[in-house]
Amino acid sequence: MSKTEHTMIDDAALEAFFVAARSEAPAPSDALMARIMADAEAEARARETSTVVARPVRPVRPGLIAAVIGALGGWPAVAGMVTATVAGAWFGFAAPDEVNSLAGGLLNIDSAATATMYQLEDIVPGGTGLAAILEEGA
Amino acid sequence: MDMAFDALTDASDEALLVAYGNGDREAAALLTARLSPRVMGFAARMLGGDRHEAEDVTQEAMLRLWKIAPEWRQGEAKVTTWLYRVTSNLCTDRLRKKRAVDIDTIPEPADDAPGAAAGMIEADRARALQAALDALPERQRIAVTLRHLEDRTNPEIAEVLEISVEAVESLTARGKRALAALLSHRREELGYVED
Repeated sequence: MSKTEHTMIDDAALEAFFVAARSEAPAPSDALMARIMADAEAEARARETSTVVARPVRPVRPGLIAAVIGALGGWPAVAGMVTATVAGAWFGFAAPDEVNSLAGGLLNIDSAATATMYQLEDIVPGGTGLAAILEEGA
Repeated sequence: MDMAFDALTDASDEALLVAYGNGDREAAALLTARLSPRVMGFAARMLGGDRHEAEDVTQEAMLRLWKIAPEWRQGEAKVTTWLYRVTSNLCTDRLRKKRAVDIDTIPEPADDAPGAAAGMIEADRARALQAALDALPERQRIAVTLRHLEDRTNPEIAEVLEISVEAVESLTARGKRALAALLSHRREELGYVED
């Protein structure tokens, strides 16, 4: 340190400079904050897109059954087919009214829903062809 | 993980960072508002008051925070400590590229305007302090800035600099003595009057 004629300032005096500096702290501009937020968005988006990765291929099980299932598209597809088949059989057997309506009233001929939606003649094919000729004669 | 906004405003830095790591953009906005002024203030002190350089460093430090968010391990370090360390390293890298200031040379006062004993304005004192800070060796500058301008504790500063608390106290003491010496040359100009 160079010698000086001035007396050294003490802690309290130094503190006055610190106080002044704190009140004059350089603040980030709005533009800077916007750039920082843009970076945050870019990083988040990059992470989100990179997590969508291709599923690894299911290893083929040995054996004939496995080969057949593989040909049908794997267990999930087979499970879906089984479900659809069972459901179809069930709907045909005991269609709930809602399903019956959705199916145009054709699933369960005897149901009330069907009766309100159709006259018997609508369901029984007879509007064209031989039936039409026969009707004319009636 | 989506937090209600009022829960967000009270959340710790760490909780916000983890939320952002899981994709919560509002958490990032809050962290930006809270932390970028701290980083900017510290960087500006380190870089001679150069706003442009300080903004570059601030953006880079926050970018590194965004990148590390998904890997952040809770309870290990404070987010601010981590950020100050990154900022400190970025600043010293930049400073090393410029010529080092000779610490034995007392800098000429940057401002020769008569300081009028009548009322010192804060801006003059702030400028004088910055000029004096610029003359300090980097590690003293870091220690004094974090302690007296950023109001950090000695243990936290020790983590930032990766040294012991005793070493921090020593750096701070030497830094303050150097600042006092530098500023005492300008006492009268700066309107400091002894009673």
